[in-house]
Amino acid sequence: MEAAAGAAGTRKAELQIRFSEFEIPPMQDVLLVGRRAPIGPEAARRMVDAVCPDQYEIITLDHPVFEAAVIRRPLLRLVPVEKLVAVLIEEVGPLAAEDMVVKAQVKAVVQVTREVEL
Amino acid sequence: MNPSVGDIMTGPPVTVGPEESVARAAALMERERVGGLPVVEDGRLVGIIISRDVRRAHPNRLVADVMTGEVVSVPPGTTLWEARELLERRGIERLVVVDDAGAPVGVVTKAALLAELSKHVDALTGLPGASHLRCEAARLLEEGREISVIFLDLDNFGAIDKELGHARGDEVLRVVARVLRDAVGEGEGLLARYGGDEFAVVTDRPREEAKRLAERLIRALAEAEWPAGLKVTASAGVAGGRRTGGRDQGTAAETVANLVNMASLASTAAKRAGAGVLVADQVSLCVASA
Repeated sequence: MEAAAGAAGTRKAELQIRFSEFEIPPMQDVLLVGRRAPIGPEAARRMVDAVCPDQYEIITLDHPVFEAAVIRRPLLRLVPVEKLVAVLIEEVGPLAAEDMVVKAQVKAVVQVTREVEL
Repeated sequence: MNPSVGDIMTGPPVTVGPEESVARAAALMERERVGGLPVVEDGRLVGIIISRDVRRAHPNRLVADVMTGEVVSVPPGTTLWEARELLERRGIERLVVVDDAGAPVGVVTKAALLAELSKHVDALTGLPGASHLRCEAARLLEEGREISVIFLDLDNFGAIDKELGHARGDEVLRVVARVLRDAVGEGEGLLARYGGDEFAVVTDRPREEAKRLAERLIRALAEAEWPAGLKVTASAGVAGGRRTGGRDQGTAAETVANLVNMASLASTAAKRAGAGVLVADQVSLCVASA
């Protein structure tokens, strides 16, 4: 009897489940979209418009590796876009490839020191 | 009726939406055996995606991210020569044909266009045919330019054909074409073999200049060297180049037909009179405003 069951075989599926909260927005502060990445700037724009409307700016880049940057708007109130993009590309450039979409966390802190007459 | 892209376009075209994937566009191109697809959104043409775009892009991408947004499109009435000029100027391989509402109704490829245009080139002389001349004349009129038509008729060509045979006749026609081509200056006008032993030039020069050009052509033929010691001459008629009527009647095509007819009759009269060149009088250029 056992031999018959063994011959028929048994199949079981094991489920491994991990739960975590989906991040909104899912792309953090900046996405740099490679020229041959699986998504392009238009797809990125539609994604962010759907998931977090009015919060991101799509910047088209004239760069050999990246064709666009998706940047959280509040960041652009603190740092001019061209300076921010230049820094990001300079830092990630050597590590990146055309087929990548790179996400970056950027914290901008404005430091102010002023002297006042006493 | 001038030959236009509407006559040769393939359509209605298979289209793709901007939110579809590159993989889907590639599959459609392969299934339909086409090298490009118009991209349509809400019934309007918004771009074009071609096989080169597909090869370069990740298949997961949206068509919107890969397509060329600035599509060169034309209405169906665009002439074949206008379409060729556009393709060459923009360095592209296909034109999307759109209706008045901007919806694509067909596609014309460069290969199809060139194949069709070859039918409007005279195989013997390599000169444009009558249809090309008529089309160019109509285009100039529609641009608001005055035109003159010079019609040249070889003298006694029938005798050459009968006495020396058609092969010799063809040789003469090739020489005539070469001599006339050399005599018409760059930008001076379009020379065509109108049919048989008839050649024609359409030019935007005024009547007096057109007459001088006709005289130059006649002289060039008279001074050319001919095979078998032949002496080949021609008579010419000139029409147009002087607006004597309003532009409120008829179409450009009708005006062109009228001018060609008058120039042809003038060339016949010149031949009878042994006058070389005669100008048709009382020419009325009447063309409807576009």
